[in-house]
Amino acid sequence: METNKKFVVSYAPHCHNGDRISKKSYNMMLAALPAVFFGILQYGVAALSVICLCVSTAMAWELLFNRIMKQPPTIGDGNAALTGLILGMLMPPVVPWWVIFTMTFVTILLGKVVYGGMGGNPFNPVVLGYAITRLSWGVFLDVDASLAPGYIFDFNMANPIVAIKSAVWTGAGADAAAAFPPQVLLLGQHCASIGTMFGLGLIVGGLYLIVRGYLRWELCLSYLAGVIVTAALFSAFGPEGKYAGAAFHVLTGFTLIAAFFFMAEDSSTPVNLIPMLIYGIGAGVLTVLIRNIGAYPDGVIYAFLLMNILNPLLDNIRPKALGKVVENE
Amino acid sequence: MAKTLTQEFTKGLWQEIPPFRLVLGLCPALGVTTTVQNGVGMGLATTFVLVCANLLVSVLRKVIPAKVRIACFIVVIATFVTLVGMLMQAFTYPLYGMLGIFIPLIVVNCIVLGRAEAFAYKNPVLPSIADGLGIGLGFTMALGALGAVREVIGTGCFTVPFGPTLTILSADWYTPFAFMVQAPGAFIGLGLMLCLMNLVPSK
Amino acid sequence: MNDMVKMVVVLTLLAAASGFLLSFAEQKTAPLIEMQVLNNEQWPTLQTIFKDADNLDTLVDQRFKIDLGDDENVTIFPGVYNGEPKAVAFEAKSTGFGGPLGVMVAVNLDTDEMVAIGVTVSQETPGFGSRAKDEPDLANQFKGLGLLQSFSVKADGGDIDAITGATVTSRAVCAAVTSAGETYKSIKPEILEKVKAI
Repeated sequence: METNKKFVVSYAPHCHNGDRISKKSYNMMLAALPAVFFGILQYGVAALSVICLCVSTAMAWELLFNRIMKQPPTIGDGNAALTGLILGMLMPPVVPWWVIFTMTFVTILLGKVVYGGMGGNPFNPVVLGYAITRLSWGVFLDVDASLAPGYIFDFNMANPIVAIKSAVWTGAGADAAAAFPPQVLLLGQHCASIGTMFGLGLIVGGLYLIVRGYLRWELCLSYLAGVIVTAALFSAFGPEGKYAGAAFHVLTGFTLIAAFFFMAEDSSTPVNLIPMLIYGIGAGVLTVLIRNIGAYPDGVIYAFLLMNILNPLLDNIRPKALGKVVENE
Repeated sequence: MAKTLTQEFTKGLWQEIPPFRLVLGLCPALGVTTTVQNGVGMGLATTFVLVCANLLVSVLRKVIPAKVRIACFIVVIATFVTLVGMLMQAFTYPLYGMLGIFIPLIVVNCIVLGRAEAFAYKNPVLPSIADGLGIGLGFTMALGALGAVREVIGTGCFTVPFGPTLTILSADWYTPFAFMVQAPGAFIGLGLMLCLMNLVPSK
Repeated sequence: MNDMVKMVVVLTLLAAASGFLLSFAEQKTAPLIEMQVLNNEQWPTLQTIFKDADNLDTLVDQRFKIDLGDDENVTIFPGVYNGEPKAVAFEAKSTGFGGPLGVMVAVNLDTDEMVAIGVTVSQETPGFGSRAKDEPDLANQFKGLGLLQSFSVKADGGDIDAITGATVTSRAVCAAVTSAGETYKSIKPEILEKVKAI
């Protein structure tokens, strides 16, 4: 056995192309900017302050945990800021400050730090932090409730994903969805959380990430395919007019931000082709199942949590190593 | 090796405190600790079963044949669990209603079977009682502590066991972090407490 | 062989002793448990559903049991209005989201219409299913409806508005009331017989 070890050849990163974690983080933030700017434009200063608070508190908590654990500060890699930014994109325009403080705290602590920092986390920290906050203070994260005082727009002000939920129960989901045609959803003429309103912006940002190689198209595409196929099956074979169509499910709720930004999180997504496809399709199918049958209006968060748990198992599906094992006498 | 009775008793309170050091009995620790009172009530019920089962197993340890010892332990434990269930129903009915299925589930609590197998079956009566009492009270303390953390953060209140419910964090300025009293909050609360316990050396 | 005999004897003796102890304990605690159930679960609900009855103070003592066969029985609480025992209340069970769910149903003996219903036992999720017990919206929908029919929530094609976010609990309440109707149908003659004595 001892002699064997001498012949093990492992490859070190012999040459480095100069890429850094921070570069990925900043590129993702850049990709998110169109959607974020549009949200701020639409909702005004309140939304800007929510985004700023999310980013700054996420960084502050990270720095604090670095200090407590006597580690070199890691906020320079931009990951904390990115986490905060994506969380901010999921927020409605008006959120109490203490909700954001707690949310970024649990996101950084339970999503990242307890697992040993970035790269060790089994869950997507954003998804975990949002889910925990939603369970406790759902009403503060509710777009409709947040918009009620003070906001007036000249378009339909109901949050589409919530609006069709009750309609699905009474069997009129397709009608309710018809009030939100795709161009309205793409161009952000509807009410949703700050960063998920402007569908076109998210798509542009996502394509940029794919082109730059920060997001694997397999994950993104298989997720969207899962959503589209499941939604289409529901509206084709469900009771007449009960379920909304595929376009609606792709363009509302957290579908797009999930396809382009949740999927770009490294440690909670698989690395090989087949696992990536299973992961994406599974998340897509679960998303629509929860939306159409489950109790929650949007299924993205729980779909991703479930697939995150499955991820280590999926990673076991991998190509056979080259070469063969010789039994030593 | 020979420890005094006091040592047998106190080891359960800190060195071998069940959910935190032995990491046993997690099912009730996760399931019932939504309030301090539930945690303490569950702990006391388990303590009763532990002490009685340890006592009886220790008394009968020369008689019970090794091959069927597990079956005998289960009969003894199940008897006392059923008994404690009846007594709680008769005297502390609201608490029994809160703990529900977790009372019969004491039967399958690894702590009880574990102490019978690992300690009472090999030791005389008095140390066995001391051991059961110590482990049981340690369990009670741990469940009470976890219940306190979850209840105060999750609802802003603190239920003094068998007493009034006090408001610690006033609803005027504190919106309860309800996640802590829900099921996933139990896992995360227990995990963080285990983490804190590991920061303190066991001795 | 000797081992074998010893194993059998010890285990048998242990099991027998356990059986004796438990049956003794059950005998002693059964009446206490019944009183506890009465005080903690049924009495608070009875107070609300029979709040206008003349015999509110004595109806617990006037309770009687009717045998349903299969070792089951149901406890009936008579309600006196204007000097006459016009209504009776009894409990029906079903399974909710968090465990068993009990519903106390009070029914008018002349018209077979429900006087009121109330949830007695519930382990439903606080803030959602627990509203079936804490808030009157769901229970009030049953007032005045005939008991001898089956009930379901609107999502299942019935007439009952479910509590938002607690469809399972609302279904359980409907199921309990429906089963109460079936029980009532089969024991009504006996109830009338016994009520006369009051």
